Amino acid sequence: MLNDKDAFLLVSDLTVIYTSRKKVVRAVNGVSFEMKKGETLGLVGETGAGKTTIAKSILRVLPDPPAKVLGGKIMLEGKDLMKVPEKEMLKIRGEKIAMIFQDPMTALNPLMTIGDQIIEGLKLHNNCSEAEAAQKAKELLEMVGIHAERFNEYPFEFSGGMKQRVVIAMALACEPDLLLADEPTTALDVTIQAQILDLINKLKVKYGISMILITHNLGVVAQTCDHVAVIYAGKIIEYGSKRDIFVNCAHPYTRGLFASLPSFSKDASRLKPIAGSMPDPTNLPLGCAFNPRCLSGIEDCNDSETPLIEISQGHFVRCCSVQQRDKFYASADRSQKSE
Amino acid sequence: MPALIEVKNLSKYFKVPAGMLHAVDNVSFTIEKGETLGIVGESGCGKSTLGRTMIRLQEATDGHIFLDGEDITHVSGNKLKEVRKKVQIVFQDPYSSLNPRLRIDDTISEPLRNSGLYARSELKERTSTLMDLVGIDVRLRQSYPHELDGGRRQRVGIARALAVNPEFIVCDEPVSSLDVSIQAQVLNLLMDLQDQMGVTYMFVTHDLSVVRHISNHICVMYLGEVVEMSPSKELFSSTLHPYTKALLSAIPSIDIDQHMQPIPLRGELSSPINPKPGCRFFPRCPYAKGGCIENPQVLEEVTTQHFVACHRVHEING
Repeated sequence: MLNDKDAFLLVSDLTVIYTSRKKVVRAVNGVSFEMKKGETLGLVGETGAGKTTIAKSILRVLPDPPAKVLGGKIMLEGKDLMKVPEKEMLKIRGEKIAMIFQDPMTALNPLMTIGDQIIEGLKLHNNCSEAEAAQKAKELLEMVGIHAERFNEYPFEFSGGMKQRVVIAMALACEPDLLLADEPTTALDVTIQAQILDLINKLKVKYGISMILITHNLGVVAQTCDHVAVIYAGKIIEYGSKRDIFVNCAHPYTRGLFASLPSFSKDASRLKPIAGSMPDPTNLPLGCAFNPRCLSGIEDCNDSETPLIEISQGHFVRCCSVQQRDKFYASADRSQKSE
Repeated sequence: MPALIEVKNLSKYFKVPAGMLHAVDNVSFTIEKGETLGIVGESGCGKSTLGRTMIRLQEATDGHIFLDGEDITHVSGNKLKEVRKKVQIVFQDPYSSLNPRLRIDDTISEPLRNSGLYARSELKERTSTLMDLVGIDVRLRQSYPHELDGGRRQRVGIARALAVNPEFIVCDEPVSSLDVSIQAQVLNLLMDLQDQMGVTYMFVTHDLSVVRHISNHICVMYLGEVVEMSPSKELFSSTLHPYTKALLSAIPSIDIDQHMQPIPLRGELSSPINPKPGCRFFPRCPYAKGGCIENPQVLEEVTTQHFVACHRVHEING
């Protein structure tokens, strides 16, 4: 998966733990991926899979302690973000990389007007006067569909959807190259979600922004992303283009996710859930972390680290049974040809 | 035979500094025994208030609630205690609806102790039966809520609601805080329990795919009013109200070849405080016309069992 030296963003072997007095939580366990400029990557997975931790490590805003980045590399346009001094990182945050946080209710400062909150970043990065920044902030508000007159209002005067727009305006203020959107629509109603997704898609095209979209809503991924990485217990277990994942998904977990969705078209009386729940990240099983819940498990699963294998061009899967099946088909193909 | 639940012109207003907040306004429907009614709508449309008012967690401002033909709108004292044994609720958030200081078995047996239905000596056995029923390992009976994950906590909430063998359970967004794989487990559990025990549900949610899956009838609410009500499949196959249409079109499809074309709704929900007469959806409706603001919308049976509150329903769908 990692071959392109000129990738816009390259994350390799990222490992993050959280420590408490007694326990070590293995949140991210060797995640690697790369992105091209203008691409949208969806990070999909259940609560606690490590999605948000990945995004926060890229921005280097993980609280240390308890979080600790044990290893890995994060290269943004060839620059290693892990090695950049904090002073330079301050310039990168907001200007190069911006983040839309999950919960618009808590991401805003309740004691500052929304205008001041947008201006803060603009003044810091653009070295412009108060009046210029205010002018720009008003333009941003109009762009996300909020009247500029509401510039001096406080967050409590806005509804959830409006607050999320303010957060988006803040993230876009300095025209970042990379946008990390952490569940930007999870707290919103579907009609408002549709408006926000439409807005994000338009802005992405307008500014050529690359985006990492974190969500557990597969519908949102289908409508916005180019590539998808499915995360389970801190590892990428399947990665591929949107078509690879939504039409030809191979990992038992990904297939389970799709099977457990109630469908609009089919009239199944019972859903097919994945049995059990995610393993305790303080006590991950040996071998494949999904094995305890997996229906197609084989002997190899328990043994050792399952590698991420490319099963077709650009489609990677971390699963012993899929790999064994593929090997079987490949050898069958070969024997057929030799006959 | 009367329906198990009948709600007649139920209203619930809250007094706020700015005036009267119409959370639920003149809502009527019936639920047959053993069936499920789904209530859908955006946040703030009054769906949770409706559920809470129906089971008497809040006093109704106006209207009547009948349980098995008996008016329970204003019963009190011992009579209300009897009603509580028949109607129960599963709350939205399994993290805040369980007492963090009570062990699982204490949480589940609390309604048993309060109702006096079971002798003290039977409590332990009944609790184990309930835990079995909802699929929680009996070895977890001494655990505290923080030791369980969201799916298991919601199962505890369901066991607690089932404890007194109720006839009617209001499920207030029971799966919205759960991941899809866990959500499917809980939905299956609720449906199995209905098959086994014939419980009647009112399922409050904003997730339309979930509601289609579990409900016999669906009722769509907008700003405290019912705008469309029909058998669940029909609501999806022949949607009539412009709001329901917009709601359905806004669901992002998991089919990557099918591009979402949401019907744009202007702005957001208007204020439920001192609403003007006339259609409440008017400010956002793509079909709005002069006549819509003048007259109040009345729920009209357009086809059999399919009710719509829209003046222009025949023009729009004609």
